[in-house]
Amino acid sequence: MTDAKFYTAAELANRGMADLPDELVSSRHLIYSSPATLAFNSPGAEGFGVKRAGLAIPGSVMLLVAPGCCGRNTSLVSAMPAYKDRFFYLNMDETDVVTGRHLKKIPQAVEEVVNCLEKKPSVVMICITCVDALLGTDMERVCRKAEERVNLPVKPCYMYALTREGRKPPMVHVRQSLYSLLEPMKKKGTSVNLLGFFAPVAEDFELFRYLRGIGVKAIREISTCGDFEEFQKMAEANFNLVLHPEARMAASDFEERLKIPSIELTRLYQIDKIRNQYQALGRVLGAEFDDAEDYTSAKQAVEAFAGSRPGLRVAIGECMNGDPFELALALTQYGLTVTEVFGTISGENFGYLERLAALSPETRIYSNMEPTMLYYDAAHCPAELTIGKDAGYYHPECPNLQWNSDVQPYGYAGLRRLMEALTEVLK
Amino acid sequence: MRGLRKYLTPFAPDQSGAVSVLYELGGILVICDAGGCTGNICGFDEPRWHTCRSAVFSAGLRDMDAILGRDDKLVAELVDAGKKLDAKFACIVGTPVPSVIGTDYRALRRMAEKQLDYPILTVDTTGMELYDIGAEKAYLELMRRFAKEKLPVETGRIGVLGVNPLDMSDLGAADKIKERIPGAVCYGMGSTLEDVISSSASEKNIVVAPDGMKAAKYLNEKFGTPYEVYDPLAASLLPELDYTGKRILIIDQQVRANTMRELLLKRGAKSVTCATWFLHLTNLAQPGDVRLKEEDDFEELVMQGDFELLIGDGTLWRIVPDYRGETISVPQFPVSGDLGGDGRE
Repeated sequence: MTDAKFYTAAELANRGMADLPDELVSSRHLIYSSPATLAFNSPGAEGFGVKRAGLAIPGSVMLLVAPGCCGRNTSLVSAMPAYKDRFFYLNMDETDVVTGRHLKKIPQAVEEVVNCLEKKPSVVMICITCVDALLGTDMERVCRKAEERVNLPVKPCYMYALTREGRKPPMVHVRQSLYSLLEPMKKKGTSVNLLGFFAPVAEDFELFRYLRGIGVKAIREISTCGDFEEFQKMAEANFNLVLHPEARMAASDFEERLKIPSIELTRLYQIDKIRNQYQALGRVLGAEFDDAEDYTSAKQAVEAFAGSRPGLRVAIGECMNGDPFELALALTQYGLTVTEVFGTISGENFGYLERLAALSPETRIYSNMEPTMLYYDAAHCPAELTIGKDAGYYHPECPNLQWNSDVQPYGYAGLRRLMEALTEVLK
Repeated sequence: MRGLRKYLTPFAPDQSGAVSVLYELGGILVICDAGGCTGNICGFDEPRWHTCRSAVFSAGLRDMDAILGRDDKLVAELVDAGKKLDAKFACIVGTPVPSVIGTDYRALRRMAEKQLDYPILTVDTTGMELYDIGAEKAYLELMRRFAKEKLPVETGRIGVLGVNPLDMSDLGAADKIKERIPGAVCYGMGSTLEDVISSSASEKNIVVAPDGMKAAKYLNEKFGTPYEVYDPLAASLLPELDYTGKRILIIDQQVRANTMRELLLKRGAKSVTCATWFLHLTNLAQPGDVRLKEEDDFEELVMQGDFELLIGDGTLWRIVPDYRGETISVPQFPVSGDLGGDGRE
């Protein structure tokens, strides 16, 4: 029987980004979806996929216009109290595909949905899938027709799995779609938006304090807007902070359409890089953040966990809140031994991999999606701790921290909490 | 409005039905999709995925693969996986994407079979039909490709067609059937490819869901194996109640509903009507039985039917809040995705 294929960090660093082996490039093999990694392959399957994300606007509802198979697993989401009575479906059949007649039905379907609701929705999102991607449907036009009928905003949202590795993947597009509902408004120098996530950033994220310290009064995230009016106030921001690269295009739209500039931050677990990032942010904003206390607190947490466990063997997956290669690099710097990383290499994280290779050349790198992962055997590379749902799946006997909550850890507080959670897991 | 769902999520689609039949047979199953359909199958319609590893893969189609019709790329990836994995066969399962671009499954099969030394099956599902259409196609394809040789009949061996998590809504269904029918071989759960290959050795077949019917007829025509149609587990789903004089509506897959009807009439029910969202075979139907398609059909049937008792998946009751009679919830996995709960509001 074949063993699961891996490459060492040193092998990959030597080959370079331009010469990645086929096993680590998902477009060159069939895709294995382990129970831990469904979300990577299926934009609607788990976590904040397109369906949940599309309903990020308070009071919105969604009409999924697609073959039945595309909406099937929505039961999982619609069972959550926050999504009850917010999903509706217009099932397509083969005649629809051939004639495109489903497009004519959409305005009437939107009207029926709106009429059956006790409270008028703030927005109707029309979610379409691969079939309409191939048909070249102009959903913007269909949405305008529906808007005329119900006198409400109707916006498209594209769950095109076919474009997952394209210039504008579904999770990038859905962010653009949501923020396109904002109308220009007078700017307020004391308002800032955080873009990137569909669930809130953890409340103890120190940046909230730093921003308030320089006079910012309103810090808005789409997930914390209580209603549509509050959401609309995101258009008054002085600037945006982009916390996730998938929000980059939406931020670019903000700049172009609403004249709101943006600054991108990266979620990091390397404590010195977090400090550098705050210094850089301070320079851009013309302010100086006093991070000494947060730095010290995070440093102490690192020392308390990693300092007392030198060489602890850790396997890291990508189903968690962070970049697995950056986290692997951070933990290696803190004195742990990262034995395995289950992750997807990209241009954005290859630099971390190269630095990891210098410190820990033998770390094994696997792709979750490669077919031979079917035969992964934890006995070949035992670990003492795993981080990420996927790493936990591969090492079922090992203590695991999933670290994949909807609420997002970030900054020094994120690092500190991670260390505390890891300590707890190993108790 | 035709096609509009306000209360129910879409039912299990045909590709899920096909995978449900093939899941335990040791093949490489390639869902010919971009990823979402595989996510739906593995993450939702195939409950065995969480407990039992199986070689289910997505073709990982991208827009340019579809636009340029890169069948050769798919075949190359299948062959690559086929050489690395220990498999007895491979099956390419269709979804909306190949349906729209008109993928030639026969060509895919021929191309792959030239490079792999085991059979390649194809099931031309579209994602627009319901699960039992896919399961029906998979059962038939399995029997046609593997049940070739007429073997001596083994006394006591009973083939059971239609046993899979979607039809039975119970992961323990095969074991329960084997308890009731010693010698049962349940194609789709708890059986192997070797059982399929030797299916001509069965004394008879039992069809427990309509999607097993075509395969049963095929085995009957090819090997003379007789078949019966009933669900041996139906009785266990009916609570011990007084059904005397009741007008009852059952909503389930047709074979299960029919078996329940026989039992309820024996227990004194005044009348029993069977309705199904799925395959409705005319030779199994009685006058008044109904094939449901839209939510409105169900609402109209219930509100105008003068029924005193409804038996079906609990999620259906949301459609008829004004119904004042009794209900018994029997989970139907392809409807609610529920293997055991009630779902009633």
